[in-house]
Amino acid sequence: MNSFFDMLDTKFAQPLSKISEQRHLRAVRDGVISAIPLIIIGSFFLIVAMPPIPTNWAYHVWATAHVQQIMIPYRMTFWIMSLYICFGVGYNLAKSYDLDPLAGGQLSVATFLLSIMPTFTKSGSIMLDMSTLGSVGIFPCMILAIFAVEVLRFCKQHNLMFKMPEQVPSSVAHSFEAVIPAGFLMIVMTLINVVFKINLEQVIQTIFSPLVKAGDTLPGVLVPVFLVVFFWFFGIHGDSIVGSVARPVWLQYFTENAEKVAHGGVATHIAPETFFQWFIWIGGSGATIGLIIAALIVGRAKYTKSITRACAVPALFNINEPIIFGFPVMLNPIFLIPFILAPIVMTLVTWFAFSLGLVHMMFVQPPWTLPAPIGAFLATGGDWRAIVLCLINIAIATVIYFPFVRMYDKNELAKENGEIVED
Amino acid sequence: MKKVLFVCSGGMSSAIVEKALKAEADKAGVELEANAVGSGEAQDAIAGNDWDIVLVAPQVRNRFNTFKEYADAKGIRIENIPPRDYSPLGGKHLLDLIQK
Repeated sequence: MNSFFDMLDTKFAQPLSKISEQRHLRAVRDGVISAIPLIIIGSFFLIVAMPPIPTNWAYHVWATAHVQQIMIPYRMTFWIMSLYICFGVGYNLAKSYDLDPLAGGQLSVATFLLSIMPTFTKSGSIMLDMSTLGSVGIFPCMILAIFAVEVLRFCKQHNLMFKMPEQVPSSVAHSFEAVIPAGFLMIVMTLINVVFKINLEQVIQTIFSPLVKAGDTLPGVLVPVFLVVFFWFFGIHGDSIVGSVARPVWLQYFTENAEKVAHGGVATHIAPETFFQWFIWIGGSGATIGLIIAALIVGRAKYTKSITRACAVPALFNINEPIIFGFPVMLNPIFLIPFILAPIVMTLVTWFAFSLGLVHMMFVQPPWTLPAPIGAFLATGGDWRAIVLCLINIAIATVIYFPFVRMYDKNELAKENGEIVED
Repeated sequence: MKKVLFVCSGGMSSAIVEKALKAEADKAGVELEANAVGSGEAQDAIAGNDWDIVLVAPQVRNRFNTFKEYADAKGIRIENIPPRDYSPLGGKHLLDLIQK
């Protein structure tokens, strides 16, 4: 069994995990992460504007009357997410190349903005439709940020930059490094956007649309769930690897859902990242809340008891590394089945619950360390049925883990009584 | 005085292990300064202080070589944390690892 796991680890898990080390994916991941505070707080203003309370309450009446004003913080942050992400991706990519990160971020934003055509009103004002900086811009802003930084890098590599005399302070000289790439990018983008009238944002969107369609389907949620636990079984951070690839899609669902709700509609995407966060990875990846509950019930061995006690509180807040490495779950044949099976069953239940419309789809992103039922409630904009679904999932996880935890505990007990010798 | 930097994915789980290590160090009378960061901040954190050792959490061990480059640039010792010691009960082993 162990050599089989070794083989899987060295032949599959380790090489696959290298994907997340790919420079551009890493920049995209870090760029998205840098915007999370704005997403979390921004999305909360949607709940403030549309509170989950009876419509005849005074606050609800007031909020309904001022809904657009209350949503301004959302509009300036989460709604125009692409603008911030663009800067973050450009900044991080430039940093990884040891280029000036600020120049990378700024060139990225300029390139992205230049891909959008403003409108000119009769009164002479020039307007930029803010919605172009929202969900439709997520893939385009990433691609354009990468393009901008690669141009910056190319120019630096081939010495295409103004040379300043020695006497010029390095900070000043630095700021001139980006002049030629800036000129090149502005000319190219203006040609595309203004002269050839190509809507680059739409083109990039179309290219990525199959991916965006797929992520919302049942296979589209099962595959990432399986991959995350697969990596974690080898003790590798599965979420961060799978997320490096899938997060832009999840983010697009999430941003679109929020846009629809902000405009008085209902959210229509099943699987933003919150789907996994609040309904599958309860207590941490692998739904290990079930493992902990089962261990609290059946744990007799000294080791089971002490490790369970140490892991229980972090598990409430979805931190489960102590479980994965402490019990351990990692490379432990006893836990292989429930660690994969529980999340898969929960995914099936959750996906059908959402697609049958039993629970509102999600448009709020609470911080991931909240206990899952609270997070699920907030993520759906305050749908109490989300709590029920979350609790059902916890029960499912517990039942599936139960027999295996008992097996584990018996094994530990036998070790402690000296009946079996640890290998 | 030992200065230890933990690197994990988000800086959350290593904070738990960091606490376990500190408790163990207190018991053993070892003076210790420790900090925990996520992998995204690793480069700046490693460069930003004169650490005695950088400890890499098992779940990000696939990125060990990247972190090693940062540490090597400053001549800092860097080690993978053995998976089983990456838990609230692993403090003692970690202390041994640091003092090796």
